Amino acid sequence: MNQEMIIPLLAAAIVSGTPILYATLGEMITEKSGVLNLGVEGIMIVGSLAAFLVAKFTGSPVLGFVAAGLAGLCIASLHGVVCLFFQGNQVVSGLALTIFGTGLANYLGTSFVGISAPGFSAVPIPGLAEIPVIGPIFFQHDPLVYVSYLLPVCLWIFFHNTRFGLGMRAVGEYPEAASAAGVNVQNYRWLGILAGGFCIGLGGAYLSLAYTHLWTNSLTGGRGWIAVALVIFAFWRPGRAVFGAYLFGGIMALQLRMQATGTHLPSSLLLMLPYGLTIIVLVLSSLKRERTGAPAALGVNIEPVD
Amino acid sequence: MSTQTPRIRLENISKNFGKVQANADINLEIHSGQILALLGENGAGKSTLMSILAGQLQPDSGTIYLDGDPVAFTGTDRAIKSGIGMVYQHFKLVEAMTVAENVFLGIPDTLFIRKKAMNREVRELVEQYGMSVDPDAVVHDLSMGEKQQVEILKLLYRNSSILIFDEPTAVLTPTEAERLFATMQQMIGLGKAVVFISHKLEEVLAVADYIAILKRGRVVDSMPRSAVSGAAELARRMVGRTVLLEVDKEPVELRQTVLKVAQLNGMGLEDVSFELQQGEVLGLVGVAGNGQRALVETICGLRIPEQGAVRILGQDWRKFYSRNNWEQSLSYIPEDRLGLATCRGLDLVDNFLLTTRGGFCRGPWIQRQQAKFKVESLIEKFDIRPPDAHALAWQLSGGNLQKMVLAREFYRRPHLIVAEQPTQGLDIAAAEDVWRLLMHAREQAGVLLVTGDLGEALALSDRIGVMFAGKILGIVDAGDAEQVAKIPEMMAGMSVDI
Repeated sequence: MNQEMIIPLLAAAIVSGTPILYATLGEMITEKSGVLNLGVEGIMIVGSLAAFLVAKFTGSPVLGFVAAGLAGLCIASLHGVVCLFFQGNQVVSGLALTIFGTGLANYLGTSFVGISAPGFSAVPIPGLAEIPVIGPIFFQHDPLVYVSYLLPVCLWIFFHNTRFGLGMRAVGEYPEAASAAGVNVQNYRWLGILAGGFCIGLGGAYLSLAYTHLWTNSLTGGRGWIAVALVIFAFWRPGRAVFGAYLFGGIMALQLRMQATGTHLPSSLLLMLPYGLTIIVLVLSSLKRERTGAPAALGVNIEPVD
Repeated sequence: MSTQTPRIRLENISKNFGKVQANADINLEIHSGQILALLGENGAGKSTLMSILAGQLQPDSGTIYLDGDPVAFTGTDRAIKSGIGMVYQHFKLVEAMTVAENVFLGIPDTLFIRKKAMNREVRELVEQYGMSVDPDAVVHDLSMGEKQQVEILKLLYRNSSILIFDEPTAVLTPTEAERLFATMQQMIGLGKAVVFISHKLEEVLAVADYIAILKRGRVVDSMPRSAVSGAAELARRMVGRTVLLEVDKEPVELRQTVLKVAQLNGMGLEDVSFELQQGEVLGLVGVAGNGQRALVETICGLRIPEQGAVRILGQDWRKFYSRNNWEQSLSYIPEDRLGLATCRGLDLVDNFLLTTRGGFCRGPWIQRQQAKFKVESLIEKFDIRPPDAHALAWQLSGGNLQKMVLAREFYRRPHLIVAEQPTQGLDIAAAEDVWRLLMHAREQAGVLLVTGDLGEALALSDRIGVMFAGKILGIVDAGDAEQVAKIPEMMAGMSVDI
């Protein structure tokens, strides 16, 4: 492969990695507060449809983007009601959310399949875009990609340099300790679920507003599940999530390219690549014996103090 | 007590959990510049009382006065704001965070945390109180003593003026404990009030200014430190005039030796030897944490003895535990009813089968229906409520669950019973039932009764051994009043001629 092929491939890796990055960061926020949300796939696809519909009927992709976040937040709030209010099982609730979200979006979207809506297109950043190699890879994309560059940095600062981040980490690690220190555990978990749902919804929006400009059934295609795996791969660190998301984006882009250029490999094998990589990644990250950064109280419900 | 207004005054505080009175009409005063020691056994209600003060539990009745004004601590944050700080027995620290982060957790401050300033402030506190922990260290890597320092730092940083230590020395080495006592003295020097919860008499005498004794949820005695001459007197007051519950104790003819422990050493035990015969109850009393746990676990096959011999029903422990006799063998009634004795999420039939399935097996199949009939007849015989064989273990009250455990174990017709704190946390009626059942079981078994409650031991035992610091200081005949009177002193670790 020469440079003419590698640079577009890497640029495509960024683009196809972006929705995964949004979703991964969203799930990371939720898990940091100690709540496991396996509904990423469902939240993402509902966000995707909401973005498409709002952009189509208002003509504004920006409104569509925000609507996706809000839709994600609403769906995620169901998870909050089940897990925080009724102390329900987090795994079951999350899985139900995925099934519900996928079904809902496919049902409501049936009549829109194949129809296009206004979306975001590439806006090269003046100055930065002209830098050789770096420019074409990173700075000739749509605005949503640029937003996703800022998100991990903001998250890192939130977790490590603000007292709310400190509180949220404590709630995910040892809720009893947080509670004894006067931190309201339920409120932080709500924050984690809702903010996480918002981010995941944004990831969905990227698929229908930037990656494609149209709606098809099952648009997310398992990206939500990849995001769940990536949180583990990233050891719950925003910086590593960026690396992981682009790695997967790269594999997806490569797989498309290989299909396009025609290889002897059957296409179904190529389509399998990202999911195969997910399994390998999970195995590799579980090999790390010492602390992986998983919040100690992840998935554990806590009784609210009456 | 002194004439100034107490920082905290508790008036008639009561708290019930179901039928169990955890706290009953408690009156206490906490003064600044004073160390108040709360002395009592496990289950005496100390922790409940402190949870009420920390805002984690609400009292059923009674009033808390802060500086003379009535207050209600409806949440931990309210109590913290009023200056109350708890050092919990099980540390409430986030292991994955640094010392400084733990100290700053939950402090309403600016949005952004300035790490350097945070570390500097914590370091200043560390130096002021002569501690040794590094603010930048991750809690995970600290020793128990250092973790406790972090808990104390949390309170100091919040300027807590009433500091409550729940069994603080349980996890400390003697040197670390010395340092803790120095810190406590320093605190009262600064006008703070300190509450020190303990069951170690020597420590209480060493640091306390005022001592209150809790028993079965009540303050049974309270006095200034100066009014107590020494550990022996304190022990006597702690044991008190034991309300002896009358249990029919018909002498039973002693038969074979069912348990023989010889020169057991290691695991905190020192040269423990005794024998137990079929037909008698041997009570082992002692303040918790004096080696009882290690001894019981060794006898019951949960630990391998480091040194010494354990013979059960005439066999070496190794041989005994390699055979799997479900019947006419050893029954263990652990202290932890809802963890070791039963599975909380299984119903009574399954919990019954846990130790008795040997009797309900045909080939690889378990005869559940027969087991269910048996459980139902046991429920009726032992008056277990609710009378439902499919009730889950956690749905039963402590007393009913304990009766279920006893019913199960007695169905095995054991020849050796090891009962550990069998009535802890039970109300009087349930405790009496348990006592009656144990007395009945004595007819065919030797019973080793490990308890912290001398009254219980006196009511049930034929002989009583006293444990202190891993040793059995002596075994006395329960009928010999003169010797029995010396038991409190022995529990306090004083050597007494028997």
